[in-house]
This record gives sequence, C-alpha cells and structure tokens, in this order.
Amino acid sequence: MPIYEQTYRRHEARGPLRRVRFWPITREALRLILARRAFLILLMMSWLPFVIRVIQIYVITRFPEVNRILPVDGRLFGDFLGWQALIAMFITIFAGAGLVAGDLRTGAILVYLSRPLTRCDYVLGKLAVLLLLNLFITLVPGLVLYLLALGLAPDQFGKWSVAWIGPAVVVDSLVISAVISVIALAISSLSRSARVAGIGFFGLLMGLEITRKTLYAIYGRPETALVSPLGALYSVGVALFDLADRALTLPWLYTAAVLALLSAACLLILRSRVRAVEIVQ
Amino acid sequence: MSATLEFVRASRWYGQVIALNDVTTTIGPGVTGLLGPNGAGKSTFLKLASGQLAPSQGEVKMLGRAAWGSPELFHRVGVCPEADAFWEQLTGLEFVTGLLRLTGYDEAERRQRAENALHEVALLDAKDRKIGGYSKGMRQRVKMAQALAHDPEVLLLDEPVSGMDPVNRRRMVDLVRRLGRAGRTVVVSSHILHEVEAMTRRVLLIHNGRILAEGDVREIRDLMDEHPHTVALRARDPRALARVVVAMPHVISLTFGAEGEWVTVQTARPDELYGNLAEAAESAGVSEMYSPDENLESVFRYLVAG
Repeated sequence: MPIYEQTYRRHEARGPLRRVRFWPITREALRLILARRAFLILLMMSWLPFVIRVIQIYVITRFPEVNRILPVDGRLFGDFLGWQALIAMFITIFAGAGLVAGDLRTGAILVYLSRPLTRCDYVLGKLAVLLLLNLFITLVPGLVLYLLALGLAPDQFGKWSVAWIGPAVVVDSLVISAVISVIALAISSLSRSARVAGIGFFGLLMGLEITRKTLYAIYGRPETALVSPLGALYSVGVALFDLADRALTLPWLYTAAVLALLSAACLLILRSRVRAVEIVQ
Repeated sequence: MSATLEFVRASRWYGQVIALNDVTTTIGPGVTGLLGPNGAGKSTFLKLASGQLAPSQGEVKMLGRAAWGSPELFHRVGVCPEADAFWEQLTGLEFVTGLLRLTGYDEAERRQRAENALHEVALLDAKDRKIGGYSKGMRQRVKMAQALAHDPEVLLLDEPVSGMDPVNRRRMVDLVRRLGRAGRTVVVSSHILHEVEAMTRRVLLIHNGRILAEGDVREIRDLMDEHPHTVALRARDPRALARVVVAMPHVISLTFGAEGEWVTVQTARPDELYGNLAEAAESAGVSEMYSPDENLESVFRYLVAG
C-alpha cells in the first residue's frame, strides 16, 4: 500500500451547516431574472388588472348606482385573484421554466450540490423565486386592493360581516402561488431545455383546462374541475369568496386533497430529478 | 496512513447499466490521478466521492463520514466539475463570490477569498470580465478558483486541464502539484495519461466501472508480469548487444531502431534482463537505457488491452 505524504496545515473551513441556506440561491436567481427588461415589463403589466379594479372601486364609491351592475364585495376579490392566477401562470413560464432545466443542462447543479447545501435547500431556493414572484402578483395587489377598498368604502368593507375577505385573499394567494410554483419547478426539472419546460408547463395547464371545460360541457358535473390544476385553483377561489359558478362549486376538501396530491407528486419528481447529472450511454 | 476518501465495495448502477462496479480503494493526502477512457466511470467515481450520487451498494466515506447525505462536508471539500457552460452572464469575481455566499462567508471575506483564489489561478486581471467572454482555459481556471476559494482539505477535479493551452496547462499542473505538496488530498480525473503523469505518480486506473490497478506507476508495471516489458538500449555496437540479448531465455523479441543505435528488447523478466546486461553493456558500449513501460500510456494500454 502506498504511504501518503502528510503535512500539517490548519484548515479554516467551518463545521456545521447554517440555518438559512437557500436564500443565496433565491437571491441570485431573482437578480438574474429581474435583470431582463422584458420580464420587468411583463411583471408591471401583471398589475394592470389591479389598476382596473382600483378604478372600479373608486367609480362605485363615487357613483353608488353603479354598484347594482358591478357590486363591490368579496366576489370582486375572487374574480381578481382568478385573473391573477392566469397571469401568474404566464409569469411563471418566463421565470420558472429554466430554473432547474438550465442547471441540469449546463451542469451548474453539480456546483450547487458541491456546496454545504442539501438538495432540499436547492429546491427551496428555486421554489422561493417563483413563490416570491407569484405572491407579488397575487398577494401584494390583493391585499393592497383590500386596504384601498377599506379606505374608499369603509361603510361596505369595514363591517365584521365581510372581515373574512382579508384572510381569504391571503389563503387564495398562497394556494395559487404555491401550486403554480411547485408544478412549474417540477416540470422544469424534467427537461434540460427551458423552452421545452415552458411549453410543457403551458401545455399541461392549458390542455387540462380545455379538457375540464370539455368534460363539463359533456357531463355538467363540477367534479370535472378536479382534472385541471387551474380548475382546482379556481374552485378554491369559488369556495373562499362565495362566487356563483356551478362548474367550479365543489366541497373544499376535494379540491384541497387534489391540490395536496398534485403538490406532493411534484415534490417527488423534484426529489428524484435534483441530483448529480449522469449521462448513461 | 490516514485515508481521506474510502470506497468499500461501492457500486453504482443506472437501471441495467453499471457505472461503477464493486470498487474498494482508499485515497489519502497528496495528488491521486484517476485514469480511464471516456465512459470508464471516472465521473461517477467523483460524484460518489463528492456525495452527489448515492452508492447503489457499498460505502463511500469522505473524511470519515458517509459522503452521501453529509452536506456539511462541503465546508472541507472543493469540487471542480467538468462542465463549464454555466453563469455566463456573471463576471469571474461574481461567480466565485456568489458561490462563497452559499458557503456562508460575509461580504468582506467573500471578496477577499475570491480574489485570493482568482490570484492563485492567475485570473485576477480578468476578474471583472463576464465568464461568457472567457476562453476555455480561463473557464477551467475560474472553476478551479471556486473550488479553492473556501480553502478545502480535499479537492475533486474532473478533467481540470481539458481544453487548456500548453502555458495554462503547465500552470494548472504546477498548481495541482503544489496543492498536493501542501497536504491536501487532490483527486484528478483525466483520460489523457500524460497530463496525470505530470501531476502525480500515484494513479488509479478505471475501466468499465472497475478499478484495474492502483498505486505508483512502477508498482502497476510490476503487477503486470504476464505482459512483456519493453527496454530500449542505445549502444555503440548494437549488433554485438543483440547477439548477447537474443540468447537470453526470457527475451521475447528484439528490434533495431531506425537510427541504428537503438535496440528495443521485449522480455518477460525485466529484472533478469537488467542483471544479465552488465557484461554485455560494457562490451557493446551501452550508453543509454530506459523503459518506455514506465510511461502511463503504456501501462494503461497494457491493462485495458489485457
């Protein structure tokens, strides 16, 4: 056996893992995404529905007779978040398609995984990017809108009977953002091409949404909402904001179970895909 | 001897494909070359060593701990992967400091360490240029810098001189040797034998997922008794030398070199040849003698062909 040459030297490397390890990954990815001007424009455009709703609230508080046509109540927030969910999907395609796919293609994942990080930290870091962006277009405008509504129409929104709107906005925004983010990240990990991942994500969500609508047209049953992630997300909004949409009115437990299963499946995909790349010939 | 890296009957397979098969070996401080053709299992070996893949069977230990599932080890391990197409929009300095952020250093220390590492690989002048504009050699060096920046005890380098020009190759070889002499454990993979030979004499030969041989190049040669050994002799009177040599029972073949001064002998027992040559060397005027078998290229060719 060989005899190894050994020279004493003091190593300065640290021992235990730090508590919050995913943040540098998030920060760096956000920095790179927000450096793209096209993306910034898209992000700003995602607030257009917010501006329209603010105008709507303003007009209705000034001209109460319009309230009969466009009522300002919990449904306004449900509709608003429904649109924001659709916009979140597009934002996620641009921001999320390449998040893992790019690292798998270039081998950067090896560099990440050769740092004092767990695979879970890596996934959390990437997931946080999408979560933050999606919350920026759902939760932030949703809450600002609610506060504006409180300020502009305190007689309507200052009552205890509608105090549930604020928490409902928070819950719906969190569900929309979390589900869309985790699906996008899982699909991104299934490909090495951001373009393929983006098309896959869009195709899956829109394809299943078309399937849902077709099935509803045939069977007329609200359970058909469960075949589509977007349908299930809309159904959460319908339940939370008491919207009148027969096609999406389901017991919330069904929807919660489907969304939980879907998210768990996505996490399993990430668990199996986020690892050192190996090319087997 | 204290082993830094230990493989105990470690195997890794992907479905039906075995990438690494029942490997048992230990690696300690100093430079160890990991040699094998493309697809031999070198990268899988390094990924198992760096805990990026779990062994399908057996154990892989780094610094006394299971390599898989011990991310805290990476405070003490630096990895230089083969791929280099990442983060092209970052500058060299941003790349190294960004990765140091993941290790947990504060801003000032990150910058200091990054600059030191870039200086170590002679890339300090280009630190503010985007990696996208770097040459292949510069990319290799910036990857090396990120592996070195946190001052690791163990360095796992996957094809570190691949694509480098001769000057940078020399520089990288010197750096690797220096790191080995400083007491770090450096594992360098390559399929180019002379590159590894320039860095170390201790090698580990991998082929089809198996370790074919390990140890000093000369130790490996000694293991290959069934293979003929080649000895080249330069003589004033090559014909006289040939007459003596050809009579030796262990000599398998003999050829004359193109310039007429060299005689190349193949023998099954090199020690006997050297012993028997003393007399003939004087009468035939042997002035030079060397064994091309000590070149890694020959050793590898023998082992893989065998």
